[in-house]
Amino acid sequence: MADQAPLEPGYFRLPAGEGERGRLLGSYSAAAGKYFFPQRLQCPITEEPVEEVELSPEGTLYSWTWVSMPFMGNMQMGDGKGHAVGQIDLPEGVRIQSVIQGQRDDFEIGMRMGLEFVPVKKKGSRQLMTFCFAPVKEESK
Amino acid sequence: MKLEDVYVVGVGMHPFGKHGASNKVMAYTAGKAALQDAGLKFRDVGYLYNGYLGGDPIEGVGIAKELGLTGVPVVHVENASATGSSAFREAALAVAGGHAEVAMALGYDDMLRMGQRMMQIFMAEGPRVESLVLPAAFFAMWAVRRMHDYGTTAETFARIAAKNWNHARHNPNAQRRSTHEVTAEEVLASKEVAWPHTSMMACATGGGAACAILANKATARRLANGRPLVKVTSSQLQSEQYVDGHIFMGAVVGPSELTRTTAQASWEDAGIGPEDISFVHVHDAFPIEELMYYELMGFCGDGEGDRLVAEGATSLGGRIPFSTDGGLIARGHPGGPTGLAQVWDATLQLRGEAGQRQVENARHGAVHMMGAGSVCAMHILSRED
Repeated sequence: MADQAPLEPGYFRLPAGEGERGRLLGSYSAAAGKYFFPQRLQCPITEEPVEEVELSPEGTLYSWTWVSMPFMGNMQMGDGKGHAVGQIDLPEGVRIQSVIQGQRDDFEIGMRMGLEFVPVKKKGSRQLMTFCFAPVKEESK
Repeated sequence: MKLEDVYVVGVGMHPFGKHGASNKVMAYTAGKAALQDAGLKFRDVGYLYNGYLGGDPIEGVGIAKELGLTGVPVVHVENASATGSSAFREAALAVAGGHAEVAMALGYDDMLRMGQRMMQIFMAEGPRVESLVLPAAFFAMWAVRRMHDYGTTAETFARIAAKNWNHARHNPNAQRRSTHEVTAEEVLASKEVAWPHTSMMACATGGGAACAILANKATARRLANGRPLVKVTSSQLQSEQYVDGHIFMGAVVGPSELTRTTAQASWEDAGIGPEDISFVHVHDAFPIEELMYYELMGFCGDGEGDRLVAEGATSLGGRIPFSTDGGLIARGHPGGPTGLAQVWDATLQLRGEAGQRQVENARHGAVHMMGAGSVCAMHILSRED
């Protein structure tokens, strides 16, 4: 983990160690009782200050699609045939939009999705990471 | 905003397409065509609002020199896809505020050149956290959710796209001019872009220019030359208001509710409702948008848009034709001029000069546009005999 870093600061915290999953960083407005992602400089509803919060790492899939084109430029996801993106509703009432991991038959609206991190590019010796979501694999009994 | 004394007196275009014409030539062509249509010289223009996304920062004022060195104030307007609509609004406000008897809104762009430039920047700088979801994916997610909520089928999206392709067959300025009647089956069979949207459902991207000249009533009457006047009865421009599930990141046009609130304000301004409208232009970058705007603008209830498509109500000859010039899907979407191309068609419709795509006895037209970021622009244009 030591050689990993966020692609850009302020959006998320990478996993602190083995078994810890990292978190998206959002804003909470006590005045409005609302959470936001990405972080806001102030509450967009009340214009009052907000505090930085870590958001839940799991949510439900609100919508998704399979994009049948290479990822942007020289970046490709998976086997390069295409990639999926989704909108994920977190329990805080925040809707996240991101790349989602899996094949096109893997997704169903309402399914549980979990936060993950994927490599984007290298900067010197460091691997820059961004976040995505993937279907949560239910524990089989 | 309700407007009392603002009229469209001239419109002109440079055709949309993959012709590679320079911004300068396209802008000049559209501007000159609008001046000719109005019966004016550039020296008569009291304000010029240039709308473009992909040009250089000082390009607008430079290109204006091709039309004439008259000392006219020139302002660059940019509002993503709603750039042309926003330039139109600024020109309308200049006339409404009495700052000019005549104001020009001139939009031009080449989306292909813009895309190449953006790709070069992307390749040089690399991806950013908020650049990883493409606009095509964003609208496809609207479509997938719609299919889940209302049972809408890919066939419905294909029918909307085919309709717009066929409307464009009658528009000499359209980018996509099919030589045959386009079918929904053909649209469905084209290459998938982002499920459920295919390439024939995606807006056409190329270059082009469009221009509208606005004036007060006294000037419009003087220039009418026997034609009916085209009044701008309402101009609305709204940015986002918070909704539950608000998405702040990525290439998005904001919550769909933005169209509902903008349309409601427009109807209040104009003192008319959807039932009074003869034809509509919308930001149909993908057919899911047009389908949702049927409902969000109040032309039918929520979930009833599919029925309008099945009945052919939004086709030319139907109860309420949408995208009569082919829309973004087939007329094309260069960026800066798109909203002004809508005004070009709306003005011809209201004058009764739209040829084979003419809506019979067109009285009021609604012209809607989204701009990433995001904003929603809407104008209502009305014929005044």
